[in-house]
Amino acid sequence: MIRHLHRLVPQPGLLLRLGALTAVQAVLQGLLLGSLIPILRALLRPEPDFGAAAPWLVAAAAGLVVYGVLTVIATPVGFAASSDLAGQLRRRLIDHSASLPLGWFTPEHKARLARATTADAANIGNLAVSIGGPAITATLTPLTIIGVTVAVDWRVALLFAVIMPVALLALRRAGRIASIADVELEQAAADIAGRAIELGQAQPVLRAAGQSSTGTARMREALDEHRTVYRRGLRRSMAPDLTYTGVIMAGFVAILVVSALLLLDGTLGVAEVVALLVLAVRFLEPLGNLVELIGALHAMDNAVGRVRALLATPPLPEADRPVTELPGTSVELSGVTFTYPGGSTPALAGVSFTCAPGSTTAIVGPSGSGKTTVTRLIARFFDPQEGSIRIGGVDVRELDQRTLLDSIAVVFQDVYLFDDTIEENLRLAKPDATDAELAEAARAARLDEVVERLPEGWHTRVGEGGSRLSGGERQRVSIARAFLKQARIVLIDEAASALDPENERAVSQAIARLAADRGRTVLVIAHRPATLDAADHVLTLHNGHVAEAGTPAGLRATGGLFARLYDQYDHARSWRLDRESATEVG
Amino acid sequence: MTITDSRPTTPKPEPATERPSAAAAGLARTGALARLLAPVRAHLVGCAVLSALATAAGFVPYVAVAEIATLALAGGYSPSAIWGWVALGAAGAGLRLVLVFASSRLGHYADARTLHDLRVRMVRHLGSLPLGWFRANGSASVKKRMTNDLEEMHQLIAHALGELVGATTAVALGLFYLASVNPVMTLVTAGSLALLGISYRIAMRSMTLHMNRLLAAESRISAASVEYADGIGVVKAFGTGGRVLERFGEAVREQAAALAAWADETRYSTAASRLLASEMALLGILGAAGLALVHAGQLSMTELLPFLVVGIGLPTSINPAIHGTQTLRKGRVCAQNIEALLGMEPLPEPSRPLSPEGSRLELDRVTFSYDGHTDAVRDVSAVCEPGTITALVGPSGAGKSTMASLIPRFYDVTGGAIRLGGVDVRDMAASTLLSSMSLVFQDVMLLRDTVTENLRIGNPGATDDEVRAAARAAQIHDVIERLPDGYNTVLGDGGGLSGGERQRLTIARAILSRAPIVVLDEATASLDPDSETAVHSALSRLIAGKTVIVIAHRLHTIAGADQILVLEDGRLVERGTHHDLIEAGGRYARMWAAQQNGDPA
Repeated sequence: MIRHLHRLVPQPGLLLRLGALTAVQAVLQGLLLGSLIPILRALLRPEPDFGAAAPWLVAAAAGLVVYGVLTVIATPVGFAASSDLAGQLRRRLIDHSASLPLGWFTPEHKARLARATTADAANIGNLAVSIGGPAITATLTPLTIIGVTVAVDWRVALLFAVIMPVALLALRRAGRIASIADVELEQAAADIAGRAIELGQAQPVLRAAGQSSTGTARMREALDEHRTVYRRGLRRSMAPDLTYTGVIMAGFVAILVVSALLLLDGTLGVAEVVALLVLAVRFLEPLGNLVELIGALHAMDNAVGRVRALLATPPLPEADRPVTELPGTSVELSGVTFTYPGGSTPALAGVSFTCAPGSTTAIVGPSGSGKTTVTRLIARFFDPQEGSIRIGGVDVRELDQRTLLDSIAVVFQDVYLFDDTIEENLRLAKPDATDAELAEAARAARLDEVVERLPEGWHTRVGEGGSRLSGGERQRVSIARAFLKQARIVLIDEAASALDPENERAVSQAIARLAADRGRTVLVIAHRPATLDAADHVLTLHNGHVAEAGTPAGLRATGGLFARLYDQYDHARSWRLDRESATEVG
Repeated sequence: MTITDSRPTTPKPEPATERPSAAAAGLARTGALARLLAPVRAHLVGCAVLSALATAAGFVPYVAVAEIATLALAGGYSPSAIWGWVALGAAGAGLRLVLVFASSRLGHYADARTLHDLRVRMVRHLGSLPLGWFRANGSASVKKRMTNDLEEMHQLIAHALGELVGATTAVALGLFYLASVNPVMTLVTAGSLALLGISYRIAMRSMTLHMNRLLAAESRISAASVEYADGIGVVKAFGTGGRVLERFGEAVREQAAALAAWADETRYSTAASRLLASEMALLGILGAAGLALVHAGQLSMTELLPFLVVGIGLPTSINPAIHGTQTLRKGRVCAQNIEALLGMEPLPEPSRPLSPEGSRLELDRVTFSYDGHTDAVRDVSAVCEPGTITALVGPSGAGKSTMASLIPRFYDVTGGAIRLGGVDVRDMAASTLLSSMSLVFQDVMLLRDTVTENLRIGNPGATDDEVRAAARAAQIHDVIERLPDGYNTVLGDGGGLSGGERQRLTIARAILSRAPIVVLDEATASLDPDSETAVHSALSRLIAGKTVIVIAHRLHTIAGADQILVLEDGRLVERGTHHDLIEAGGRYARMWAAQQNGDPA
């Protein structure tokens, strides 16, 4: 655990200082308790001999003062170490995620990243301090006490020395079993969470079926299952928990027995036996309290594991001597085969095609045919397993990341905007753009109408993720960015679902303007007949293979897959719901 | 001071619809908790008593140590007296083990039962709430109530209770025992514990203030990191994370600053409370006071020993109580949340439910308001004859979806009435009403169950052949056959089906249910064209012979409807067939013209 933590934190300065302070305190605590032996020896006489105890008392008093001062010093260090640790983890996580391929950012991974940077980092910061201290104390203080005891009676010291490792082993075992039970319980809880979501979402269906008050049979099963798992986990972790308490209790009893024997056979003075008894109690108590740390330790273990897993994700490989100048704007795929991480069938298999500089290529195909994968690979969200992708003749893997991303603009199907003004969102593409440039880009992307309509114009905040704009309007922002950035290669994923008519027209027009510039190579995943008709070249994908390639008109004439899809798109746009077309279920 | 509970809360604010406000939550605090735990009260009391007894038993070995020391020092002891105390100490230790086991058993039993029973109660109650509540609050809030809130209750029942009782007993017993040895020294001990309490209070005095600042900073970190991850494509495409990373860095710095400010302000009180909570402080205080008294001849060394054995350990036994109090506080808030949910007014069910005759749907001067001030739907009257198609059109915000959601009683009308087959929908049993209509919305309602069960829930008596026929009609049979277990595949989150395929499953369910009324709300708006075509043919099968209410943005899809109701600002402004409305040259005609212009098709 400490090793893992050490690897996570590049500059453990504060944490080490806190650890050192705590360690000194722990040893001091052991010594102070040890000082009871000579003190009690001097005082536990029919007539207490304060003279003999005096030097020890002075030393103990000094030790206590030092202990107090150390506590005052260590307290703010604890706070600072906790927030410093969390801050370091957070920055490392964000820095590392910036080096990951874009393809890594699936919703699941994004949620994991968010959890790691917030809850996990905070918990590690807090727990490292709140567990670390007691853990150090609970180890070093008993060790010191054992050392002190050796000087008085080796037999008792031996007894202490036996109790400690046995207790720690029992503690570890208890922790391990508790985490197994926890994992099971977490699964059962996740099942309930899923059922709860279902209960919320499918409520009308459940009610129609008269199951609203009971939930589905599976809901009831999930609840019962949770109870069963819970009870089973409890039974299982109870034994090791009790074993630990048992070890401590047995240690206590053993000390009582040994003390009684030593007392009765007279090998040790009464004062020594009494002093050892007092010491024994103080030896056992911190050990016993360790059981309270199991839960926290386990939580810490999990959090550290999650953060480590994230930091272990390999970044996108960088070329040794990257090409920083893009020699041209052609896009060429040759023999590209790519399977998504964790996938079994390739999303693209042996795909080859070339987009001439300045041309517009439309990619079509049924859903799942690999259209989006093509654009993702060009933008290097992922690297293909076989084949290569060249831009201007240079393999994208040889290209400098910056150069690649500077020359490419990607217009996603679902555009994410930052919760900032619309101007700032646009300026991302070119921070030093003049107002005239902004206005020009907005006009070209037909964003100007949107800006005009907004209450505060360019200064209107777009809301979280851009929620105050419609999907079509967000796409127009994204296209305006491509204009502003003067990207030489533009990849567009045309909104597949129906936009409202006004947006649809505006987006189509904006795409057409992007394509019209002969200095720009455009690849568009198209769903609209208008966009398809306007393309120079069409590429039809099917199951990860190139099925057809040619001009739109030429391919329509062949009556192949493209022709079929074209008709389907056309049909979808003219479909109407009426009684004549309604067909009885036969 | 513990800083372990500074976990970031979800940045999303609680929906405002849950009535009891935070201020009200401050009042009847323990009430909600006590009421929710009433069914297991006996178990909890038992658990507490056993926990107290366990602590008492665990105390015996300490007393044995002190007594053996006393006997030894007094001299002239008999070995049997010594062994007697050893035996007693051992018995206490053994007994403690047994009692801890029993107490924990009982606590966890009560816990498992409470979690289970409360969840069952919540499920049952949720089933009676207006469906609109689910729309407004989302299923995430159902999940939060059923998992996170109950998790806190679990912490409380299974752990905090025992910790609190154990700690209290330990301190009380300890002081009691010490008082029997020497009252003055006991006062000193109690005094230092009181000092600990005071310094802890001082350290925690400004906690709410600082905690709020900390939580705010943490939720900003959370928001910034979510924003960063969501916008990563943009961040990378445009080189600099710029403002986003700045915001993140700022939030991290602010969090550190907040913590530093807190630490700085409470620097000495926190250090004092940490110091007083340590064994060493007690060792110093009790040692100094004790030796002074011994020196003055007012205390014997023998009497001092129990204070060194038992007294020094008292502050450490308080620690679990502090933790327990925090859990108790959280548990109360969660109990409040749960009770608020359970206390929410259910949708009134008729005492003598009526059954509709036929499927004629009548909107009679329907008025509805979400907030009681502005009407979302106002005075809308129309009749949907059996077997006809009625389309609701209008600009967004015109009240189309609200109108449609009143028919299945997601909400109750605030004026007028909706009648199905001559019966007011409020006079029907919810199951009768909902089973007489199929709702096909954008958000697909699938169960995490097998495909068959998902289809059959609309018609439990359907044969396998009927299920398959419905799936074929909805163009989804082939897709199902390709699933790993065919019709027995359990659909999970996502389940490997695309949006269009999931939508077709709900349509197959609707076809199988044979409900005479179909309500379609933008069912195909978020689908890609491939799926759209398939869903369209599925819908054509579904609506055959049904009374259909359809909401559409794209007017060409409903141009063939029997009647078109044009809504604007919640009012019905035009009605008629496509042909009539185009002729009339009003609002609809303008909308149509605009769309024809914009639609390249």
